[in-house]
Amino acid sequence: MSSEVGGVKARVPPATKTQLTASISGLTKTVRQVINSDAGDVVKRQRFSGKIEYAIYKALLVCIYVMYAISRYFQREYNRIAIKLLDLAYNPSNSPQLIRQDVNKLQKIPKRIAAILEYKSEGDIGGGLPGLINDASDVVCWTVSAGIKHLVLYEYDGKMKQSVGELRAGIHHKLAKYFGAENVPRFAIKIPHTNQVFFDVNEGPMDSANEKSKKHKVAVEISLLSKVDGRETILELTKTMADLCAKGQLKVEDVDTKLVNQELTQLVGHEPDLLLYFGPALDLQGFPPWHIRLTELYWETDNDQVSYYVFIRGLKQYADCKMNVGK
Amino acid sequence: MNDSGSFPGYNQFLELVKTTLAKVIRSSDKVPQHVAFIMDGNRRFAKKNNMEVNEGHNAGFESMCRVLELCYESGMKSATVFAFSIENFKRSLFEVNWLMELAKDKIKQISQHGEMAEQYGIKVKVIGDRSLLPPDVLKEVELAEEVTKNNTRAVLNICFPYTGREEIVHSIQEIMKETAAGTIIYRDIDEQTVEDHLYTQGQPPVELLIRTSGVTRLSDFLLWQLSNRGCAIELVDCLWPEFTPFSMLKILIKFAFKKTYSPSNEEDDELKKKTAEQKYN
Repeated sequence: MSSEVGGVKARVPPATKTQLTASISGLTKTVRQVINSDAGDVVKRQRFSGKIEYAIYKALLVCIYVMYAISRYFQREYNRIAIKLLDLAYNPSNSPQLIRQDVNKLQKIPKRIAAILEYKSEGDIGGGLPGLINDASDVVCWTVSAGIKHLVLYEYDGKMKQSVGELRAGIHHKLAKYFGAENVPRFAIKIPHTNQVFFDVNEGPMDSANEKSKKHKVAVEISLLSKVDGRETILELTKTMADLCAKGQLKVEDVDTKLVNQELTQLVGHEPDLLLYFGPALDLQGFPPWHIRLTELYWETDNDQVSYYVFIRGLKQYADCKMNVGK
Repeated sequence: MNDSGSFPGYNQFLELVKTTLAKVIRSSDKVPQHVAFIMDGNRRFAKKNNMEVNEGHNAGFESMCRVLELCYESGMKSATVFAFSIENFKRSLFEVNWLMELAKDKIKQISQHGEMAEQYGIKVKVIGDRSLLPPDVLKEVELAEEVTKNNTRAVLNICFPYTGREEIVHSIQEIMKETAAGTIIYRDIDEQTVEDHLYTQGQPPVELLIRTSGVTRLSDFLLWQLSNRGCAIELVDCLWPEFTPFSMLKILIKFAFKKTYSPSNEEDDELKKKTAEQKYN
């Protein structure tokens, strides 16, 4: 019975799940909790007044939750409408010229951008691996059109790394849609963790040694990162350094921020200037911690789609931001 | 809240509302156990209100105390505040010296008899590269830590002077030293080992970051801790002295509500796992 309900729930697209229904079911949960805790606490709480006080606080909490849920519901609907309007206003409709126009208005553009993408469950609209690849290729097309040379695509589990073949095909297909089948911009996909570089669909993988000869020709360089490039890489570095130190080949005094930065840049890449997140509330999800020191973070509240207006508004914010390190 | 004292008893009433709400939030059992603050905007606040810069910092300090009081009342265990970045040494010598004096003063004030630290049972910890502090400030810092070392209810980490990258490097160096000395075996080094050598070691994982004045960067603050999956980041668009306990309450309600009802994927919430692990240990 319960699995059936779960199945039905999973098939409902996320957009129709309103905050209110979630909160109503949650509220009943809390009320039940209050009742249960009252019953269970009789033994534990000798002081009767303490119990009453606790119940009053819980009741007040429920009131606050109700008020919050209602205001949150309207706020969320408002945001969603705003997002829909923005989406219409900024629709690039597969045209690099329009994106160029938008970008040309900006004072400065970032050299490197990063995007956190999410693997949605397969039942959802735009979920599963095809959805993820579709999102990734959209971001690649916007990046190429904006004239940005370096793109980092982060996905927590590294699903894109495991299916580079599909990703290459997906990106090629999307780029052909944007730029025409004859002049698809060349791109390179880098996986820093395994030290592999892939070029366009028809070419095989290459190791880093051959990379330099061809590098100047690509329009965009895409790095695929996942959680192994974050803390795990710092951990590996720590282990190596500890080992070298124990063997007497490296002195503790020689290890400083500069050296660690140099090593991590080599292992993972450079710090991005702008990080885009396409979810409703920012969650860094284990993004390499060393690499978000001064990165501008951008996301749109209550948005849950990979859409162009998040991209262009992120670039706008970057263009307007003032950087004064320490001052 | 001192500004509107026109009605007799108005401030007391606000105080009562505040403590009641703190207890209400506490009863939800979903209070972030470790909150980090970047208190941005003191200088801009001073400029906006035609004040001296130090008055702006004073207002910021008072605002911090009020917000922290609310946090500790609602059951938070740890707070980390960004007081001074290593990068701040780039400011003019005059301003650096002056900020050092100010910090010295404030640290003394917090840990004094009968003040916040004693009132709420807070252990004060000054974290960061302390070798960069002038000797007289360091003396004051050590004194404050000594006075509050037996407090166990909560911890206040003051980052002074601190950067997140320096913290990671510091952790690596410590691990190297201990491996060389033989106290850590190379094979046993894992993420927990790195975490145990960070300045925030032994404290609950950071669950919430609050940054005021609308800047959307981490600015080298708690990089390792904040990149955890499930860590909420709240960027508030007001200057720090304008950030009241009620703004904090709103954020706490939002946090508790989300933790209670969001249909999030709980099984891979890193923070939850870490909190659970810590309870077992």
